Amino acid sequence: MPAATSRKQHFSSTRFWQAMALAVVSLGLGSLAHAEDSDVPSLAGKRIAISMTGTSHYFDVKAFEAQVAEVKRLGGTPITLDAGRNDKNLVTQLQTVVTQKPDAVIQTLGTLSVIDPWLKRISKAGIPLFTIDAPSQYSLNNTTSDNVATGKHLADQLVADSGGKGNILVFNGFYGVPVCAIRYDQLKLALRDHPELKIIDPELRDVIPNTVQDAYSQVSALLNKYPKGSVTAIWSAWDIPQLGASKALVDAGRTEIKTYGVDGTPEVLELLKRSDSPVGAVIAQQPALIGKTAVQNVARYLAGQNDLPRETQVPTLLTTAANLEQVQALRGDQ
Amino acid sequence: MPWSEILAQPLARRLGLLVLRRGSSGAFLLILAVLAVTAPNFLSPGNIANVFAQSAILGILAFGLTCVVIGGGSNVVAGGLDLSLAANLGLCAAVYSSLNNAGFDTVQAIGLTLLCGLAVGALNGFTVVVLRLPPLLATLASMNLIAGLELVLTQNSVLPTDSALLDTLAMGEWLQVPALAWMLLAVALLLGLLIQHSPYGLRLYAVGEYPEAARAAGLRVGLYVFSSYLIAGLCAGVAAFCSAAYFSGSTTGSGDMLLSVVAIAFLGVVFSRRLVANIPGTLLATLLLGFLINGFQLLNIASFWVNGVQGVLILLVVAMSSALRKEEGGL
Repeated sequence: MPAATSRKQHFSSTRFWQAMALAVVSLGLGSLAHAEDSDVPSLAGKRIAISMTGTSHYFDVKAFEAQVAEVKRLGGTPITLDAGRNDKNLVTQLQTVVTQKPDAVIQTLGTLSVIDPWLKRISKAGIPLFTIDAPSQYSLNNTTSDNVATGKHLADQLVADSGGKGNILVFNGFYGVPVCAIRYDQLKLALRDHPELKIIDPELRDVIPNTVQDAYSQVSALLNKYPKGSVTAIWSAWDIPQLGASKALVDAGRTEIKTYGVDGTPEVLELLKRSDSPVGAVIAQQPALIGKTAVQNVARYLAGQNDLPRETQVPTLLTTAANLEQVQALRGDQ
Repeated sequence: MPWSEILAQPLARRLGLLVLRRGSSGAFLLILAVLAVTAPNFLSPGNIANVFAQSAILGILAFGLTCVVIGGGSNVVAGGLDLSLAANLGLCAAVYSSLNNAGFDTVQAIGLTLLCGLAVGALNGFTVVVLRLPPLLATLASMNLIAGLELVLTQNSVLPTDSALLDTLAMGEWLQVPALAWMLLAVALLLGLLIQHSPYGLRLYAVGEYPEAARAAGLRVGLYVFSSYLIAGLCAGVAAFCSAAYFSGSTTGSGDMLLSVVAIAFLGVVFSRRLVANIPGTLLATLLLGFLINGFQLLNIASFWVNGVQGVLILLVVAMSSALRKEEGGL
């Protein structure tokens, strides 16, 4: 598989096959990431603007560093822009980037309604525009995780762990965010085949900011209401509510309840190492691979390969206590 | 105190005066010249017009603060201050987006949004003039109140909206200059005429600098101070339209702009020969900050440095002007 070939040099052969098996497990349908490093066209003499919404979160930092490194590896010059999670800075930086006339712009994340008019302006100025996790109509290619497979694998793991029976507490505060909706729909789809596994009504609302504290207090309060044996699992569309819920379970000594989420935030992976971990599974995204893939798409486009798909999906990694080390190695966390 | 002794020396005093009164415009030109030589495309007309447009939101808010500082006096602790300006903008933008999305017609939506800005201004004026709270605390309280109202209205989410007005403001151009740049210049011209060249403006300065003398001369000091908060509220309302055009609706985090607004209004002081807050000075300070941010991006320097430069400039201005005030007080 191409996704693994590139990493051959980094792993012993055993490690390599483990990693490959892991990647294959989480491959979904659709156009998948190519990461064949050797056949990527050069970016020599090209200036690539890497426009970040912020660089304060794990995902941001990894995606940012990988983009910069890949542009340099391919001989190009990165122009690095960081809006510090401030919309005014972000719009200003997207306006000024038109003046800078880079050979391409890669925009990572951002509220679509806020940035779309300015992405349009970049595209109209004739600058090739690429995005990461921002499905704009003006983007030539959006690199993102395969969220259908992500939702399906998370739901399948939950079903398997629970034996297809029991009650699930679900955080569903962000169904309006497209990727969260896809993941939730996959959970519902999986539960259709397992009528004895039910979502507890009403569903919980996760919030931003103070996500961890809020999930912690919601779950702590509910644990009094639901005695041992009445709740099997807690599901959330991302892993920050999962982090708060897991901490509440640990503190209340209720780790018989297992938690499920998406992203692979380091603190959640850390919790997986506990012997009495409440974390059932977390689907880890590969932000570094996403960043690298986006840059390789730019290089291919600038070399005249204009047949890029609108979306490139990067595999996600189903992570449990059993394969934690391989996942961390594959993501470059260690 | 060894430092005050140093500052009390006539030579240092004279040097400080000279640097502050003549040096600031020179420094501005020097910064522009350096950026023009080093930053690619910095001097292109498109880029300059862009910086003017990008400065509209902060600039218009800072004009409002400038009026409050003129009317209340320039003492940072006891003088005129409006910390609620950025939050007021956030609330007004959220109000406009909600009204527009709810199907209100253009005139109603614009009118009610401006009224919202004015209402916040009136609240500030009431607490400062009638209740006699220090402006620093009064507007700090209203800032929190308004930010809370905005949260209630938006649920801390982005409210996208779309109208002909916002399209014109965001994308419109006249003589190849963006509409937002014209907004900035238009508000600067109007307030410049009102504050620097009308009897009202002259009296506002009198009220701010020598309230006792102004009262003795028969001016209704409270009314003038109240009116300066109304102007600030109106500025927040007008800036809210620029912001809604910029973000295609209302967005979270408007409060982050507060520090820049305060910085600009106080930086503007150095662009006046008498070292008082004034509208043209505030315009220059806004543009200086805009050109710095723009130039740094063109030079591929991290934008965090702009914060550092801004901080150093404020420190210099505040230190120098309080030293000068001490001198004037001693005379």
